[in-house]
Amino acid sequence: MLRVNEILSPILLYAACLIGAIGVALALPRRKPGIALIGGLVAIAGVGLGALALFLWAADAELLPSVFFYVFGLLALGSGLRMITHPRPVYSALYFILTIIASSGLYVILSAEFMAFALIIIYAGAIIITYLFVIMLATQAPTEDDEELLSTYDTEARDPLWSAAVGFVILAALTAVMFRGSDALPPVQASAGSHELLAQMPRKIERELRRSGAIRADEQVLTVDGVAQVDWDSRLVSLEGGNLAALPESFVTSNVEELGFNLLADHPMTIEIAGVILLMAMLGATVLARRQVDIEEAAKALQARRLSLREGASDA
Amino acid sequence: MLDTGHMLLTLASDAPAGAAPWWVMLIPALPMVGVVLCTLFAIMGVKSKLPAFATVGCLGLACVLAFAMLLGSDDAPGVVKAWQWFDISWGEGHGQTFSAIFGFYIDRLTILWMLFVTGLATLIGLYASEYMSHDQGQGYCRFFMAFNLFVFSMSCLVMGANMLMLYLGWEGVGLCSYLLIGYFYKKPSAVAAGKKAFIVNRIGDLGLALGVYLTFVHFGTIEYAELFASDQLQGYLTDAAHGHFEHIPAAAQMIPLLLMVGAFGKSAQLPLYVWLPDAMEGPTPVSALIHAATMVTAGVYLVARAYPLFQVSEYALPAVAWIGALTAFLAATIGMAQFDIKRIMAYSTVSQLGYMFAGLGVMTSIGAAAHVFTHAFFKALLFLCCGAVMHGFAGQLDLRKLSGVAKMKGWGIVGITMLIGCLNLVGFPVITSGYWSKDMILAEAFVRPSTGLVGWLLLITAGLTAYYTFRVFFRVFVGPVEYHPGEELHAHDDHAAGHGHSHDHGHAGYDHSHSPEPAHDSAHDEAHGHFHPHAPGWAINTVLVILAALTFVAIPLVALNHGGWVGEMVHGSTAHYEAAHAGGGSHGSVWLVGLDPHQVMYYISAVVGLAGIAVAWALHYRGRREAAHAPAAEAFKRVAGPLQRWAEHKWYVDELYDFLFRNPLWVLSQVFRYIDMLLVDGLVNTAGWLPSALGGRLRRGQHGLLQGYAGSMAGGLALFVVVVLLLVSRSA
Amino acid sequence: MLELAQSAFPQPMAGVTLAHYLVLSGAMFTLGLVGFITRRNLIIMFLCTELMFQAAGLALIAFSRYHLNLDGQTFVIFVLTVAAAEAAMALALVVLLFRRRESLSSEEWADLKG
Repeated sequence: MLRVNEILSPILLYAACLIGAIGVALALPRRKPGIALIGGLVAIAGVGLGALALFLWAADAELLPSVFFYVFGLLALGSGLRMITHPRPVYSALYFILTIIASSGLYVILSAEFMAFALIIIYAGAIIITYLFVIMLATQAPTEDDEELLSTYDTEARDPLWSAAVGFVILAALTAVMFRGSDALPPVQASAGSHELLAQMPRKIERELRRSGAIRADEQVLTVDGVAQVDWDSRLVSLEGGNLAALPESFVTSNVEELGFNLLADHPMTIEIAGVILLMAMLGATVLARRQVDIEEAAKALQARRLSLREGASDA
Repeated sequence: MLDTGHMLLTLASDAPAGAAPWWVMLIPALPMVGVVLCTLFAIMGVKSKLPAFATVGCLGLACVLAFAMLLGSDDAPGVVKAWQWFDISWGEGHGQTFSAIFGFYIDRLTILWMLFVTGLATLIGLYASEYMSHDQGQGYCRFFMAFNLFVFSMSCLVMGANMLMLYLGWEGVGLCSYLLIGYFYKKPSAVAAGKKAFIVNRIGDLGLALGVYLTFVHFGTIEYAELFASDQLQGYLTDAAHGHFEHIPAAAQMIPLLLMVGAFGKSAQLPLYVWLPDAMEGPTPVSALIHAATMVTAGVYLVARAYPLFQVSEYALPAVAWIGALTAFLAATIGMAQFDIKRIMAYSTVSQLGYMFAGLGVMTSIGAAAHVFTHAFFKALLFLCCGAVMHGFAGQLDLRKLSGVAKMKGWGIVGITMLIGCLNLVGFPVITSGYWSKDMILAEAFVRPSTGLVGWLLLITAGLTAYYTFRVFFRVFVGPVEYHPGEELHAHDDHAAGHGHSHDHGHAGYDHSHSPEPAHDSAHDEAHGHFHPHAPGWAINTVLVILAALTFVAIPLVALNHGGWVGEMVHGSTAHYEAAHAGGGSHGSVWLVGLDPHQVMYYISAVVGLAGIAVAWALHYRGRREAAHAPAAEAFKRVAGPLQRWAEHKWYVDELYDFLFRNPLWVLSQVFRYIDMLLVDGLVNTAGWLPSALGGRLRRGQHGLLQGYAGSMAGGLALFVVVVLLLVSRSA
Repeated sequence: MLELAQSAFPQPMAGVTLAHYLVLSGAMFTLGLVGFITRRNLIIMFLCTELMFQAAGLALIAFSRYHLNLDGQTFVIFVLTVAAAEAAMALALVVLLFRRRESLSSEEWADLKG
């Protein structure tokens, strides 16, 4: 068996970080796109190296979730990289959608199904669409893929080398700390907490029991103050009239239910505050965007000249 | 020999037991009420004579209370305590607890002083109600506010139960003096005079403060009652009575010398007298009240109050005597050559204060107190007469430009009262109170063996006084009627009305012995052709008559056996001094063999005074008519010319002070200015320039670019994380 | 150093550990950070902040899974809330700024320079 530990000293990760930094720095948009291509390749190499390190570290584990982890992880990183390096804002936004989809895949692996769907709906469905609208409002989309027509602020990154260095130093330091020790994720199992949640849903238990045929249609689950009486060791439910019914083994709470309880029972105030924040943001955005801006004549002329130049160039 | 000490012991042993009635606290309280009322009037914008009448009411009531205090007083001094003022302790030992009450110490000296302070303040307040009437409104309120505040401060000074109260009053009267001298604050000369008075007084105040401090350090208390009763002081007094001054610590002997400096500053003695003549820039009632009658006697009061302290020093009282005599003489010679009548009165005040100090110095505190008492009345009278002239002639004070005032319609009372005042100042035999009080000092000065020359100086001064006093009278009040109004014709509109007595007496070529046959300047006459002097009204005349009457009333009070009533008053106070120990058998033997100076002096001083009046009459009444070119006058002029010029320039004392103190200080200040400019400012500027230069470099970091800041944040975070990581791996 | 690393490292048999997710999350965050610092387009900058939010959300979900505690997921809801609010405000601002200068360059706005 491969002694991966010896190979997998943090040096490999540091190397991955270094290569990744160089790659990102090169891949960021600049005047000569050829280098950016090379940079992209180097960056992907760096990411691949990192992934290899992670893979080697956990190589002998059960493969299926790991495979999906690597697939989604690489997808997220790759599309993230492309997002920050693409000179066209529209493409960036689209790559960001890809990142989000990859992320939600990871969420599913982490058995957070509700959040995965919520992520896609909220992010990809709402936020990014807003971004796309703004991008379309605020930039002139050229008809061809002519990089010359893009604004310089899109085609030239600012201090790419230093920024990448700083960012990846942080990453290297953080990963070094993380690799000091971490356990495998524990298996998802019914905890005492989820039992309590189930007991608080007597109608759901009743429905489940009826569906599985454990009780008759006229029998009902005994409730005391709205809580079902369940003996969890033997998984027996007390019924009205003194009978007991056995709960099926597969009967557990779903992620959505647990999240709902957590959200509404444990954090009721915070969710109100979140609502207020959103309301304020909506009002603020409306007020801000409604404001009329008086542009001076000179600025208008400049604007008109720019537009005409751009159109003239695209015509040519 | 021992009886001084014993007498004081018995006297002082009574002191703590006595308690004055509570209502004596009303005496300082009433002027304070006046202050509050006048302030309220100023806020309400009262434009009538209300402030004046409120003032006169308050002060009159205080005066009545002072009389009540006199009637209700017994021999023992009494203390009344309003509240505990200071009580600081930093240890258990002797002199480690500083306590002072806000309270009043009432003995006969206090009563004597309070009687004439409140009485004169009431009268002069009444006088000022008319005198200041051109200024009704804010200025009127301000004037009477300061007037009341002055009386309050003076009460604290005189009645205070300890040296701290005295110091409070001392500074208070200084402040009021400053405020009132600078009353016409739009006039530069008035402002300068106010500043001069304040600054010169500060030098004296430093001495007083140190004296009070040293008293506390040495005796451990500043309460009069405790201080004068302390065994320590009594022991010193016994030593002093035996002539064993070497047994007394130097610190105790220093105390009177320091207090003396304070007294000389406030009472305008050499070398600190220079502020008083300039203080005449203030309104005349102020000059009369503060700078002639009351405040300037604060120094005399201080010496009299602290007389036991002065006796423990071998040199203090002789020094007081000498300085007093020299001041009296010098001020008299200056007064002889001045032309501004108010200024002459100012110098005469300095001179008479010198008499008082000389009296204290030759150990006749009774004579000094009597002279303070009589002088307060007649000098106030003289000033108010001068003020009436100034008021009526639009600020004219030059004795060469006024003549025969007494003959004008409505000026009779002023003329007569002025004559009475002059006679008092001269010491006209028998019928004036000034005669009796002055002679007491003169006689005692000849009695003391150590101060014989002081007596001669004072005697010569008496002659000079007679000359310059009647010079004024003969020039201004008698003779042909002539007048030139002063510069302030619109006296009733102008803010600075009636006080523009300019300092033009310094201009060369106008010789006073030259007959001032009115050199009619036609243009001048035409401009002022329709000027009519307005005679004083009822208030001024009433006050003048009352004051004149009081000078006569004072005669029996001072003239009877051994100082009369005033003598009694002083006798029952700390200022009393038994002359017995001052060298046995000195009585009468010093100057006139076989004749007691106490008896002879009455005749001698009368002769000297009359001679002075005669000279003045010859030169300024008769001589003015006919002797413009008389050879005798010419000869006199040739001889006296330079001397007179020197005197007219006040012996160049101001110039000397400029040369000795002001110019060196100015040079020093320039040196410090350059040190300040180059060194201190240089350092400070460097301290300012460094951060500025550094900031100039650093501000490039503040480029305003959002991403620059974000990058800096990220860089900082990276640095931080790396450092933490290194630390963790080191410690792990 | 090597010994330290060996003892500190978990066994390779452990499969995908929490650290895997955290590394991934860190890498995503770094990408967002670098993008935010380097790209001059205001819209892209805000997209990069969204990427950083994503990274944070991923870490939260991973921790939630690790501790078998739903608070992490709940917190992601708030992250989403804030991200949405931020997006709304930021885009309104971007529109406003664009109207003023006809440019999305962040360097157009350097009025606070010292």
